[in-house]
Amino acid sequence: MAGSFFRNLIRNRAMLLMVLPGAVWFLFFSYMPLIGTIAAFKEYRFSRQGFWYSLTHSKNVGWDNFKYLFNTDAAYTITRNTLLYNIAFIFLGLVFSVALAIILSEIVNKRMAKLYQTGMFLPYFLSWVIVGYFAFSFLSMDRGLLNHTLESFGIDSIQWYNEPKYWPFILIFVSLWKSAGYNSVVYLASIMGIDKSLYEAAMIDGANKWQQIRNITLPLLKPIIIIMTLLAVGRIFYADFGLFYNVPRDSGTLYSVTNVIDTYVYRGLKTTGEIGMSTAAGLYQSVVGFILVMVSNFIVRKIDKDSALF
Amino acid sequence: MGKSTKSFGLLSAALLSFSLVLGGCGGGNGNGNAADSGGGSEKPVELIWYTIGTPQKDVDTVMEKVSEYTKEKINATVKMKMIDWGDYQQKMQVLVASGEPMDIIFTSAGGFDYVQNARKGAFLQIDDLLQKYGKGIIDTIDPAFLSGSKVDGHNYGIPANKELPQQDVWRFNKNLLDKYNLDISNVRSLESLEPLLKTIKEKEPNVTPFGLDKNHVPTVPYDFLITNMPMAVKLDTTDYKVVNILETDEMKKALRTMHKYYKAGYISPEAATVGSTNDLTKSGNWLVDRAQTQPLAENLWAAAYGYPVVSTPASDPIITNASVQGSIMAISANSEHPEKAMEFLNLLNTDPVLRNMVDSGIEGVHYEKIGENRIRNLEAAKNYDMPSYSLGNNMILYLNENDPDDKWEQFKAFNAKGVPSPILGFNFDSTKVATEMAAIQNVKEQYWSSLMTGTVDPDEYLPIAIEKFKAAGLDKVIAEAQAQLDAWVAENKK
Amino acid sequence: MFSKTKKKRDFHHLSPGWNFIFHAVALFFAVLCVFPFLFVVIISFTDEKTLATNGYRIFPEKWSLEAYRYVFQTGDMLLKSYGVTILVTVAGTLLSLVMISLYAYAVSRKSFAYRRFFSLFAIFTMLFNGGMIPTYIIVTQVLGLKDSLWALIWPLAMNAFYVMILRTFYMTSVPDAIIESGKIDGAGEFKIFYRLVLPLSLPGLATIGLFSTLGYWNDWFNALLYIDDPDKVPLQSMLMRIESSMAFIQQNSANSSISLEVLQNMPQDTARMAMVVLATVPIIFAYPFFQRYFVQGLTVGSVKE
Repeated sequence: MAGSFFRNLIRNRAMLLMVLPGAVWFLFFSYMPLIGTIAAFKEYRFSRQGFWYSLTHSKNVGWDNFKYLFNTDAAYTITRNTLLYNIAFIFLGLVFSVALAIILSEIVNKRMAKLYQTGMFLPYFLSWVIVGYFAFSFLSMDRGLLNHTLESFGIDSIQWYNEPKYWPFILIFVSLWKSAGYNSVVYLASIMGIDKSLYEAAMIDGANKWQQIRNITLPLLKPIIIIMTLLAVGRIFYADFGLFYNVPRDSGTLYSVTNVIDTYVYRGLKTTGEIGMSTAAGLYQSVVGFILVMVSNFIVRKIDKDSALF
Repeated sequence: MGKSTKSFGLLSAALLSFSLVLGGCGGGNGNGNAADSGGGSEKPVELIWYTIGTPQKDVDTVMEKVSEYTKEKINATVKMKMIDWGDYQQKMQVLVASGEPMDIIFTSAGGFDYVQNARKGAFLQIDDLLQKYGKGIIDTIDPAFLSGSKVDGHNYGIPANKELPQQDVWRFNKNLLDKYNLDISNVRSLESLEPLLKTIKEKEPNVTPFGLDKNHVPTVPYDFLITNMPMAVKLDTTDYKVVNILETDEMKKALRTMHKYYKAGYISPEAATVGSTNDLTKSGNWLVDRAQTQPLAENLWAAAYGYPVVSTPASDPIITNASVQGSIMAISANSEHPEKAMEFLNLLNTDPVLRNMVDSGIEGVHYEKIGENRIRNLEAAKNYDMPSYSLGNNMILYLNENDPDDKWEQFKAFNAKGVPSPILGFNFDSTKVATEMAAIQNVKEQYWSSLMTGTVDPDEYLPIAIEKFKAAGLDKVIAEAQAQLDAWVAENKK
Repeated sequence: MFSKTKKKRDFHHLSPGWNFIFHAVALFFAVLCVFPFLFVVIISFTDEKTLATNGYRIFPEKWSLEAYRYVFQTGDMLLKSYGVTILVTVAGTLLSLVMISLYAYAVSRKSFAYRRFFSLFAIFTMLFNGGMIPTYIIVTQVLGLKDSLWALIWPLAMNAFYVMILRTFYMTSVPDAIIESGKIDGAGEFKIFYRLVLPLSLPGLATIGLFSTLGYWNDWFNALLYIDDPDKVPLQSMLMRIESSMAFIQQNSANSSISLEVLQNMPQDTARMAMVVLATVPIIFAYPFFQRYFVQGLTVGSVKE
């Protein structure tokens, strides 16, 4: 038994050496800190002897720290919001980024394409705070560009920051705007790696552009699309805090559509600052994401073993 | 070629392990604290002092000079570490939780919250230390500071001796007042503002008559158990009953008035989402707003904004927990030299030489003396620009060029006028109802600003908000608070 | 350009009609993305007072260089933070590329017996996070990196997301045949990786390189936690400090002592926008730099099925 284990090790030694640096890194920077998750089950209090001592000696409170995430009707709202937005982001983001990548790869003038690509990246550099200001300059009641335009068409101004019904669209739009350029790079690079002779052959067989895209480009993008989607599913319970906090300017009237798990936790713990409770929230989000990834990966494995995450 | 790639991988692994070894040797307690347990004439103790503010260039040089002085007086040197405003809360939490060595910590209600962290065990209880080494503090600073900053009956820090009570005032843009000959002598209540607001609204379309931001809460005769949370106690209470502020008559009346003003256009439509009235005060396009005052505030405001500002009281000066906890210096629970730390704090709060050195820097470099107690900043002052309020007893500071001679007398008079709130010194412990607090906090964030700024109709939304608060568990919280308050009253107010 | 292609009849070219539509779509989206940034630039050149009075305007009433003057006033601080950011970004990206490409390659090989384990080992870290405090303790106490530039480099060196992306690139763009032929020629695993696989996976490497560069350049959080020395503060960190300080002041606006003293010294809106411009413009050039490598692998044609 042990013998074959060691023999396997030696046979795979080159590969093992390759994963060694990364694995050690993960050990230090990702796995060792996981000890901190114990705090989710404790009423964490500082102690003179440092962190480890505080963790082990703080009062055990079982599942109490998780209650605030489930107890109220707010819990339903935030869970629903987080899930629905993320599903929209994953699906729409995928369609949009892939479409963008294909468009960029097909444009005849390569220099212009490069220019467009560079431009599309810019939103990634703006922090959510800045994007929030910018959105404000559009949506402000009396000074916003949008209301000015509406007025000139004879339509009444809208108090954007008080009307929840517009915000799902606004937030999805802003999120796509910010990340599409960045995400499309992955797909673009994949397209660039496709063997050109495949297209040659298709052309000779009489296929037009669209058929080429449908039968060559998209299928060959399948692996990367699946991987990107699976990875996104893992983060499905995490929301981008900056987006949901800064862009709606923390306006209370919009909470029914802008409050997500992360903002709820932030707001809820402002006065009490219970470390245990914020750790509990993080643990909850991680576990759900983990289960979902395992399940989806299992399904994908059944269909096509190679496309799975692991 | 292949070999070099192979060694690349080995190199990375080696690097990681190397850092680990380095860490093992150097990490942990590699700090210069000389182990000095009381008394002898050995090496001076190094005190580490964490405080808030944008890190200044000359901090280390000034601290060297300070250390020379303190070495002589109390055999201790001082190392000050400044952490920027926005980072302070988060960074201090991490530093304290990880057991980072430190002796003196700045804390306040809201900047690495004093009460919260005292209860969590970040600070040392200093009752005995105060008696033994802090006699000077007890004698010098206003006693209300020390009694008001007790948490669960014990002191955990030394508040800065500065303005003691909080008092709301209505501030007016004097230019507009003069232009339209507006009289503010009858202004006191929220309702009394109306004629002035009306005039400005009619005559000056570009001006926002009533400047507000989302944190505004109308002045009501109550003290809040926790700032911006609905649990409150009436200021002239005799039965110490904790109520939901939204259910009180005074608040209902105030909210109706605010909504009236909002509808009339006196308030910016976006007040509920705007973080500060900075834009308004910068441009001067406002008539009145409300702020907390201190002696000589009008001069400060005029200097900051560039145009004259006058004010008139909106409330009486009250001493509350928040006003007492605005700036506190605590001793870290893991400090190796709490006695020395207290000696230092004692010196800081009583010795003008030390206090002014910490505040303004080195004489002749950062400032020059132009009178017995007066200084003028020199060019180099911008390399050591410190927030005075966070560094100790303000009343022994030298005066600036333009300050009146009786500046500190005015402060003392102001402090004397303050009336203690009935719950001064009572700090609600929300641990048992943490879950409800989280839910309530979210409800508050949702409904509070739009109600308080008058954006929504209180007749419609108050009942909704009250209902939501109830659903989130406010009644349970109030019950818990009442129980704690009753116990505190029984113990302290006999 | 069109006349040339008519002769050569490049199968790859789009019909002029669709080309135009594609151009329009791409242009529209690109403008949508660039516009806010342009706006930021304009604000940075606006006069502060008119900003307070008029709000953000595309054509400001009054222009001013005051914001940039204020920023440059800090003089060597700005230069130092540029230096730090560039150094950390370059070193970090190189380190990252090495670590990630090795790990991803190993995990992409079907012949690696522990492939599934190490894939999960990486993915798990994407889902679970120990929190700020434990990580801080590891970095400062266990690894001893406090106040060192390494504290800005190491925490971002590995990224499971990038590993998975690169792994997919390896699996799709490197045919097994190539690896087999390498083995037949007697090459060791590392040599195969270096000689055969890397050149083929350039687009993947470039993607990860780009992401890595951007990640390092934009990072401010690590500096917040680990850096005390003002000489070691990177650009974005400086920016973020100012942002969060402003937010802090606003939240504590009731406390008159703080607001006045500090507000007077806070950089104005225009100065903050100027900092955003200064922090972003250099990195815009990262994309064209990496874009060069989005080309097909070099030896694909050599494989005959």
